Amino acid sequence: MSRIALLLLSSTLLAQPPEPPLAKPIANYDITAVLDAKTHTVTGHETVTWLNDSLDSVSSLQFHLYMNAFRNSRSTFFKESGGQLRGDQFKGDDWGWIRVNSMRLEGSADLTSAIRFIAPDDGNAEDRTVIEVPLPQSVRPGQSIRLTIDFTTRLPMIFARTGFHGDFHLVGQWFPKLGVWETAGFRYSTRGAWNCHQFHANSEFFANFGDYKVELTVPSRFVVGATGEQVRRVDSTSNQTSTYTFQQRSVTDFAWTTQPGFLRVERLFAADKETSFDDISAAARLHGISSDDARLSDVKMIALVQPEHREHIDRHFNGLRAALKWFGLYYGRYPYKSITVVDPPYGAGGAGGMEYPTFITAGTMYHLPPDALTLEMVTVHEFGHQFWMELVASNEFEESWLDEGFNTYSTGKIMDNVFGPSSLPIQVFDMNLWSLLKLPRITQESMDRAGHVSSPRRDDLVRRAWEYYDSSSYSLNSYMRTGVTLRTLEGLLGTPTMDRVMRAYHQRWRFRHPTSRDFQAVVNEVSGRNMDWFFDEFVFGNRALDYAVASVTCVRQRTPMGLFDKDSALSMVSRKDAEARDKKLDKDKSFKPDYLSTVKIARLGDAAAPVEIEIRFTDGHLERRQWDGAYRWAKFTFQRKAEVESVLIDPARKLQLDVSYANNSWKKKFNAPLSAHWGANVLFWLQNLLLTLTSIA
Amino acid sequence: MHAATALSSAFRRTAARKRMVVLYWFTHTLCAAVAALPLLGLAIPQTAHSLYGDEMLRHFDLMYLAELVNAARDSAVGVGVMPGMLSILLAMLASVFLAGGAVKLLVRDDARYSPGEFWEGCGRYFWRFLRLALYSLFFYAIAFAVSGAINKAAVKLWGEGMVEAPLVHATWARQALLLLLLGFVSTAMDFAKVRLVADDSRRSLRACFGSVRLALRHIATVLPVWLGLGLVLALATWLYVAVANRVEAVSMGPILGLFLLQQFYVAARVWLRMMSWGAAAALDPVLRPPAPEPKPEPEPVVEAPPETPEPGPAAQEDFSI
Repeated sequence: MSRIALLLLSSTLLAQPPEPPLAKPIANYDITAVLDAKTHTVTGHETVTWLNDSLDSVSSLQFHLYMNAFRNSRSTFFKESGGQLRGDQFKGDDWGWIRVNSMRLEGSADLTSAIRFIAPDDGNAEDRTVIEVPLPQSVRPGQSIRLTIDFTTRLPMIFARTGFHGDFHLVGQWFPKLGVWETAGFRYSTRGAWNCHQFHANSEFFANFGDYKVELTVPSRFVVGATGEQVRRVDSTSNQTSTYTFQQRSVTDFAWTTQPGFLRVERLFAADKETSFDDISAAARLHGISSDDARLSDVKMIALVQPEHREHIDRHFNGLRAALKWFGLYYGRYPYKSITVVDPPYGAGGAGGMEYPTFITAGTMYHLPPDALTLEMVTVHEFGHQFWMELVASNEFEESWLDEGFNTYSTGKIMDNVFGPSSLPIQVFDMNLWSLLKLPRITQESMDRAGHVSSPRRDDLVRRAWEYYDSSSYSLNSYMRTGVTLRTLEGLLGTPTMDRVMRAYHQRWRFRHPTSRDFQAVVNEVSGRNMDWFFDEFVFGNRALDYAVASVTCVRQRTPMGLFDKDSALSMVSRKDAEARDKKLDKDKSFKPDYLSTVKIARLGDAAAPVEIEIRFTDGHLERRQWDGAYRWAKFTFQRKAEVESVLIDPARKLQLDVSYANNSWKKKFNAPLSAHWGANVLFWLQNLLLTLTSIA
Repeated sequence: MHAATALSSAFRRTAARKRMVVLYWFTHTLCAAVAALPLLGLAIPQTAHSLYGDEMLRHFDLMYLAELVNAARDSAVGVGVMPGMLSILLAMLASVFLAGGAVKLLVRDDARYSPGEFWEGCGRYFWRFLRLALYSLFFYAIAFAVSGAINKAAVKLWGEGMVEAPLVHATWARQALLLLLLGFVSTAMDFAKVRLVADDSRRSLRACFGSVRLALRHIATVLPVWLGLGLVLALATWLYVAVANRVEAVSMGPILGLFLLQQFYVAARVWLRMMSWGAAAALDPVLRPPAPEPKPEPEPVVEAPPETPEPGPAAQEDFSI
């Protein structure tokens, strides 16, 4: 077949001399792939170079074939998900699969026939998402090997983070990808072994860093976006295709998208314009670094947006700008040159809200109200994964909280600070009822805490992702409860210390693979406090935290009666005398009696944390007490010439894990307006509901 | 008679019987209280002596709802579900019961109100109206089925597509149509009630179908009545929302003001409900004129008997034939 390649100068950038890698490249991939847009099939050729960076001799390789999760209903993914995930139902017969056509070790024999499927997690013989290939010779420590693999991938209907819908394609988890060799001492390993989990319903991914060069050939009318930077585009007029070359060093994965209808908009995040001198100085001061180290770098922002969401282009960029700025100032500058955000079309919701290195998918809806900030939130959140999934490449299979939860915490901070609280889109005839009725707007912090408070505690925070009680428990613990847990930690350590902890953890583990224990060590080190108890209770355990004002009594002190020592003799105050004196004092309006006030605080939950208590008296006096919170209850007594007016546990709301704020305080005066207001409102809404229902009768 | 005249007559008839409006409002309030009290019984003790309650008086914290869910996890049936169901059931029965008395009085185009007649109507038409309410479910089901079918068709046409706009527009159109259909059925059932009372008939099923036929035949008259009432309701709602959103209800004065405003709005809804019956009562004689009196059979002309002797038994028999 004759192929005339046309080099388009306008859209072609020859590869610049490669910059040094940011991370030690362990698994490098050089892939050429051709998309058949009609059959949604990718035919690929991959050269993978693997460096044995351990002290072990490795006799076999393990690869993920993630796309086989969608091969049939007997895969582990389907068994666990029941064919539905994140609100999407798998329908029809558009199954996805990947087939390794050949695998060859450079300078050695064909390994194809030696490939065998394994199921290290659940032993499901019908799962085809992990393969093992014995090597003719072990790979020695420090040695690199190179394999060439021919593969064919058929995309499923858009379902779980990958697939096609119409002519939209999101191509993720699409090529044979090496597992991670974990030598003794690496993360939790006690001996060298592959960490190569099957594709589960409740899980994401884990991989080594490496350099990627990928050539993608698609029909010319298709617009393409991908991980990394586009360095070349070659159009072929003979078969109406275009070949795009993307390169990115020091990432853990590569994903791409293509659709003819995308609106492609490119803008620059100009770091010096987006951040003020004060922003940089404050970050430098807080973290004890130079202004140069705190300064951010310019980033090319690319948005691939659906035409019907044209009005939301700015909102995508607003989300990206806020995220680039604040993630950069909090944790360190974003080190890559570009970030691409993809807006999946209607019907491809399963592709939305997903993260890959330098490439994220967001999601919006037709006529999304401007005060419903879901688009901004998803954009900020997915960008945040660049910091907690990509740069700090934790194992999402085994410790999802380190990515999703840390990101929930960071997203909440940025959303609440930059964009403020949001309404929810409840639309009737293009009117947002939420705004119309002026319902209270919601912060991310509230959303997370509402999830934490209203959901049962079925699991510890940290578990292997597929071993949570169910998908709700996985989501709750990996996202919301972690957000609340980290905010509680922030409350206990103080915001500046927590900011230093998070940055130190991020910087120390950038381009590495930390565990929960590594984070714990950073917390203890940076804060200078032993917070092991906190991790035992709330991270590796899941205890309920609930402090309550149990009782408040104020007893007016009367004249003492009985026998008393006086001048070395016994003196008696008779009951009659005492009562007479009290009667007299009662009549004296200028007399201020003493009150013995007793405040009892109860620990209703099984978790204990140090807690502050604030007691306010009717004369305005304020007493503060610290309690270690350890025993079931604590009693505080005061003798003053005033009664207790109010008691407040945890006045600064440091303990966001506390499941009830309502019982954290007590005040003497009955809040009649609140009762009246709520009574009136509840009655009113019920009256209206009944009037509507009875209009049929 | 056109819609405006019917509405004006309905207003007159309702205004003349304000006590019915008060009674209907009071009954609904009682039924609402059945569901409201357990909820408030859970929330008020938690918050009325809490500083958190003070905060929420100014800015309601939606997180508190999560606390309520957590607190009522084991008693949700007792606190929410059972009282809610009971409240709806009571309101339904009370509404059917009171409608009998109300329609009976509204059918008459005068200003008379007699408690005796009202209660007599309540009892007299209760079973008829209850049957009617059950039959009406068939037509409401049709309205929802039509809406569902449109939704299904829209999903079939555009659901697998990549563009959301046509589906959203179809949803708006469907919502509007559903509203119109529900309004039509509701109006037709108002006519059925009036028919049962005016004819003092027990044939609820016949009244139900007959009224739907009647409303269909005279849709140009009937629907504007419902649209007129709907417009007034929309206006009242807009007014309520506009004012309520501006009330800073943090002390007893403004709270009392808000409460009065809310109850005024509820009373306005009750008033409009009565007016919809009044309009049906005003239109019924026009749209369904009484059948003309059957012409009396012409008297048989009896010829004078011939002067004959007293007829015998046989002759008498012949005459009777």
